[in-house]
Amino acid sequence: MTRRILFNLFAWSIVLAVAFPLFWMVVTSIKPQIELFRRPPTILPETVTFDHYLRLLRETNFLIYFRNSVVLSVATTVTVVSIATLGAYSLVRFRYRGRESLAFLVLFTYLLPSVVLIIPLYLMLVNMGLSNSIFSLVIAYTTFALPYALWLLRSFMAGIPEDLESAALVDGASRMEAFRDIILPQLLPGIISTALFTFILSWNEYLFALVLINSDNARPLTTGVMNMLVSSFNIEWSLLMAASVMMSVPLIIVFAFLQSYLTRGFGAGGVKG
Amino acid sequence: MPRPNTATPLERRYAMLGVFLIAPTVLVFCAVIVYPLFSAIYLSLFQIFTPTLQGSFVGLENYQRLLQRPEFWTSLRNTLIWTVGTLTLQIICGVGMALVLHQNIWFRSIARSLILFPYFVSTVVAVLVWRWLFNDLYGILNHLMMSMGLIDWPIDFLGSSPNAMISVILVGAWKYFPFVVIAVLARLQTIPEPLYEAAKIDGAGPIARFFDVTLPQLREVLVVIILLRAIWDFKEFDLIFLLTGGGPLISTQTLPLLVYKEAFALNQMGMASAYAVVMMAIMLVFMVVYVLKTRNKD
Repeated sequence: MTRRILFNLFAWSIVLAVAFPLFWMVVTSIKPQIELFRRPPTILPETVTFDHYLRLLRETNFLIYFRNSVVLSVATTVTVVSIATLGAYSLVRFRYRGRESLAFLVLFTYLLPSVVLIIPLYLMLVNMGLSNSIFSLVIAYTTFALPYALWLLRSFMAGIPEDLESAALVDGASRMEAFRDIILPQLLPGIISTALFTFILSWNEYLFALVLINSDNARPLTTGVMNMLVSSFNIEWSLLMAASVMMSVPLIIVFAFLQSYLTRGFGAGGVKG
Repeated sequence: MPRPNTATPLERRYAMLGVFLIAPTVLVFCAVIVYPLFSAIYLSLFQIFTPTLQGSFVGLENYQRLLQRPEFWTSLRNTLIWTVGTLTLQIICGVGMALVLHQNIWFRSIARSLILFPYFVSTVVAVLVWRWLFNDLYGILNHLMMSMGLIDWPIDFLGSSPNAMISVILVGAWKYFPFVVIAVLARLQTIPEPLYEAAKIDGAGPIARFFDVTLPQLREVLVVIILLRAIWDFKEFDLIFLLTGGGPLISTQTLPLLVYKEAFALNQMGMASAYAVVMMAIMLVFMVVYVLKTRNKD
C-alpha cells in the first residue's frame, strides 16, 4: 500500500512538472503587473485580474488575428477533408493503373519538409498575385494537410469491411450510393478525427504564414502574436501569456469534448509534427 | 495489376470512377507539391535576387559554393546535434513516461491529457511560455535554481553558446516526447499478460522483465517512431527559429533556418534552393527507409 502511494506521488510529480509551463502561462496571465515583478514570485496569484485579457481584446489586433485563424483553419479543413475523403475511397476500394505509386507518393509527401516547398510556392503565389491573402495560405496549407489527411483516412477506410458495400451493390445500389449510404456513416468517426487534426495543424502553422503574409488583415494568430512580442518595446509578459491562453482555447475545447476521436486518430497514423 | 483485356465493362466503369474520384487529389498534388518540388531543384541552378525575382543561370555553382562555406557545415553539424540530442531525450522520457502511465495510477486519464498537451499546443505558445520561464530577471527557472542553491547567478539560457543549444534541445524534448508516450502506450497495451507471468515464474524481477519482455516487444514500434521523429526533428523550423533565431551568432542555426535566412533575409533564392535540395537529399535516406518499413506492414 505504501509502495502504491509512493509510486502515485512519483508519477504525479512528473506529470505536474511536465504540465508546469502551461500552468505558469495561465497564472502569469491573471497576475497584476506589480505582482509579476515581485521577488520571490508567488506561485498562486494573490490578486486575480482579467485586465490583460480585456486589453488584448480592446487594444491589440488580437481579434482580427483570431478571426483570420478561424477562417483559415476552417477553410483548410473543409477543403482538405473533402478532397481526401474521395481520394482515400478511390485509393482503398478501386483498382487502376498507378494506384500503388500514388499511395507511395502520399506517404512520401507526408514526410516532406515545408522549407523545401516554400521558395517555389512563394514565387508561384507572388506571380499569381495571391500573396498576402488568407486564400494563399489555404493553398499553402494543403501541401502538408492533404497528404496527412489522405494517409489518416486511408487507414480508417481500410478498416471498414468490404462486405457491407458489396451487399449494397448486389441490392442494386450504384457505387456512389453505396459510398453515401454505407461508407460515409461508417467513416464518420475517422472523418471527425482527421478534421480535428487538420484543424489543429492549420491553427498552429507558423512558417508559411511568416513568409506569405505581411499585412495585419490576413495575418493568423501564430505570426500575429509573435509580432506583438517583437514590436513592443517593453515585453509585456502577462499580455503575451493571456494571448497564449486564448490561442489555446480552441485546442482545450477539442481536448475536453472530443478526446476519444483524438486517440483514434493518433492510433491510425500518429500526428504530423 | 490491371488486366485491360480481360476486364469486364463493369470493372472498367469502376476503374474510371476510381480515377475520377482521385482526380482532385492528383491535381492538387501536382500543383502544390510535385511542381514546387521540381521547381526547387530547377531554381537551385540559378542566382536569383528575391525582391526583383531577376536571375541568371549558374549551373551547379551554387552547390560548389555551399560545400565550401563553413556556415553550411556548421549548420549541418547543428542540425545533427539538435536531432540526435532531442530525439534521444524524447525516446528515453517517452518510453519512461509510457511505462509509468501504463500502471494503474490515480486519475490516469487526466494525467494522460496533461502529458499530451505540450504536443498539441502551438509552437508559438510553447516558445513564448519557455522564453518567459527562461527569462533572466523574472524567470521562474532561474529563481527556483537559485533558491535551491544550485546556482549563484542567473543563467543566460538562450543567449550564450552551449546553453542555447541545450535549452533548444530540452524544449524540443518537452514539446515532442508526448508523441512517443502515446505511440508506446498503445503498443504496451497489446503485450500479452502471460508473457509477464511466465517471466515471473522464471524468477525475473521488474528490471529483467523490462529488458526480456517489454523491450523486445517494443522494438518494432520504436524503430518506426525513431525514424518518424528523426525526419520531423531534422526538418524542424518553428521551434528553433522562434526560441533563438539560430543565435547566438549561428550556434543554433540548423539547415531549415539557413534556407529561410538565405531566401528571405539575404535574398538569394537560388542559393537557398540549393541548401534546401541538399537538406532534402540527406533526409531522403531516412524517408526511404521509413516508407519501406511501413509499406512492408500493409
